[in-house]
Amino acid sequence: MRPILAIASTTVGEAIRRKVLLIILLIGVLFIVVAPGLGILSARSETTVLKSFMLGVTQGVSAIIAVILTVYMIPNEIERRTIYTILSKPVQRWQFLVGKYLGAVLSLLLMMSMMSAVMCLMFFLQQQSKNVSEIADLMKGPMMYFVQMCLLAAVAIFFSTFVAPLVNFFLTVGVFLVGVFFNPLFQSLQDNQNTVPFVKIMAKAVNTILPNFANYNIQNPLINSNPSIQNEGRYFLGITVYGVVYIGILLILGILIFDRREV
Amino acid sequence: MKRKTSPILLVVLALAFICQGLLQRFEIFDHWVKVYNPGKGKLYTNAMSPDQLLAVLAGFREITAGILWVKADTFFDQGNYDAILPLIRLVTLLDPNEIDVYATGMWHIGYNFTDEEQRSDRRYIPSALALGKEGTRQNPDTYELFFEEGWLWYHKIDDDYSNAVDWFKKARDKPDMLPARKNLLGMAYQRSGEVDKSVDTYYRLYEDAVEKYKKESAFGNHQNRDTLESNLDNMLVREVQRGYVAGKENRPLTSYDVNPPFDVGFSVKATVVEPNVIRFEGTWNVLPVGTRIRVVLRDLNYPHAKPAEMEWDCSDNVNLDPPRDQTFMQEQLFVRNRRFNKKVDMSKDPTMYPFTSDNYVMEFYYNPRSAPPHLQDKFSWSGEGLTDKNYLNTDVRKGQRVIFASLPITRDMIKRYGQWVDKTPVVKTPNYAESAPDAGRADDDVVLKIPSLRAGSTGGK
Repeated sequence: MRPILAIASTTVGEAIRRKVLLIILLIGVLFIVVAPGLGILSARSETTVLKSFMLGVTQGVSAIIAVILTVYMIPNEIERRTIYTILSKPVQRWQFLVGKYLGAVLSLLLMMSMMSAVMCLMFFLQQQSKNVSEIADLMKGPMMYFVQMCLLAAVAIFFSTFVAPLVNFFLTVGVFLVGVFFNPLFQSLQDNQNTVPFVKIMAKAVNTILPNFANYNIQNPLINSNPSIQNEGRYFLGITVYGVVYIGILLILGILIFDRREV
Repeated sequence: MKRKTSPILLVVLALAFICQGLLQRFEIFDHWVKVYNPGKGKLYTNAMSPDQLLAVLAGFREITAGILWVKADTFFDQGNYDAILPLIRLVTLLDPNEIDVYATGMWHIGYNFTDEEQRSDRRYIPSALALGKEGTRQNPDTYELFFEEGWLWYHKIDDDYSNAVDWFKKARDKPDMLPARKNLLGMAYQRSGEVDKSVDTYYRLYEDAVEKYKKESAFGNHQNRDTLESNLDNMLVREVQRGYVAGKENRPLTSYDVNPPFDVGFSVKATVVEPNVIRFEGTWNVLPVGTRIRVVLRDLNYPHAKPAEMEWDCSDNVNLDPPRDQTFMQEQLFVRNRRFNKKVDMSKDPTMYPFTSDNYVMEFYYNPRSAPPHLQDKFSWSGEGLTDKNYLNTDVRKGQRVIFASLPITRDMIKRYGQWVDKTPVVKTPNYAESAPDAGRADDDVVLKIPSLRAGSTGGK
């Protein structure tokens, strides 16, 4: 366990020192800070616009950070040959990979926490809301986005064990977009009576096999207050377990590939 | 040396894969569709699907919708109404929870497309209703769009009030319904001819208002209570005055205003004074002001046409392109000094009045349910006090006695083509009497003069 934690903490340090990540984070925070000014876009829905924008920025910036942070993680170690000094010590390859992944997750946690804190502060200032439950409700979004980003990071780590960073970038972004947008599309296909049965089966198969990032897009009822949500806790638990299981699958596959790779 | 993969690891991997698939399929997906899907799992439109737009706009749907709506507002100010329609559609697809956009969109589609004389284009009304219905399905937890839908029936369509009742009832049952707006249900019941339900509604609302005022003596509560008290008083007086109570108790109606039914002596003449310009003249022996006779000029085979109206609620799809090759003109003829005389100019708006078919029909319609209270005091809610020896009709609106007349007219006549180039086309009811200056007054002695709340003082003969 100790090697994993050591690699993870080193990874966090590296992430914090990467200027490009810090700039992206800063841009995200700036967007959240100016968000209250966008209330003018809607006469009676200032809160809706505010929540929509802040959650959108948090998710978008987190996704960019997650991808940029992880696609270069393993290839950089190999390219700079620092991996030799690590693997020459009593550190297994799987420990290296898991450590790197944990480091990425911790970095994401740190950066997303910062954005979420600013988001809460701006929401509080704009709404003058002393209602803690309203802010707690809003925080459900970033919490679920965090699990989503962990899954995204796992996808990127998995691909980084066997493809070049640029290819990895497009692969990861592609999987993310498909995972985000496939749920509504799948639902549309299911509902459309004209859809050919074969297409329905294929859609169901893809929906079952690929990581489903849309599960974590829970912002709709948060933005447009919906009092009729049932079994919310169970759903959150379900998608968290789903995320953890899928991350496990991706890490195991990554380890199997990385174990066989010549470095 | 080639490393061997542990079979246990492969089994764990396979199990994990199956596990995630089962979770996704049986635990997560349906719940997500039900609760978190931006379209709430249902697409109520044949237009572009929300997920297609979502793919482009990622997590910023509401922002984009807001920006587009601000743009639409600019078009409103410029009077560029055609440009607003696609924006309304786009904004509601982007953000189906934009209640204001649905409400404003309904109003805009229903009211704002007018000709040069401010007559609204009724061909759009089914679309306005469809947009409202879509809005209620997308926003079932709030009263607003249910109320707006009812209001469109009540105020704009101004007929078939049972539809307004249905929508106002749905709005009333929502927890956020404003107390003052509940009063309209009582009025809609009344116009729908359901007098007992109207009284019941007012009683219930009045009791609630009294209780509310006891708890909180705010001005609004005081005002609402007084309004309801006044409405209830009027309603109770009218029930008696119009012989409704006597009728229910099978007592003779001899001393009530509605008896005997008054013959309004309707007659009409339509003269095509210029191409696409028609003058409607006629008689109506009711002296007090407030009578509005509806005239409809439409294609003989206008889709979903009904007597003096159309099947307004004919579609669930928002179609922003109404039948542009068809004509449906609706206007009100105001009666003054027992006559009406109005020139309807349809020459300046060829898109609204294309006149592409060969045959048209002019329909004239008077419904006491839309009449002001002082006239209803004579005619009552369902026309019990109304008659006409030529044009009384009990078929075109079930359970009501209305005045209805229908006259054919051709495209050549309207456009003054062929034989009508030099000859003025005139279409009139057989009873229209041409004798200036009081042309059409069949019998000067039969005039409804002063309807009153006092029984037996209706003027009449």
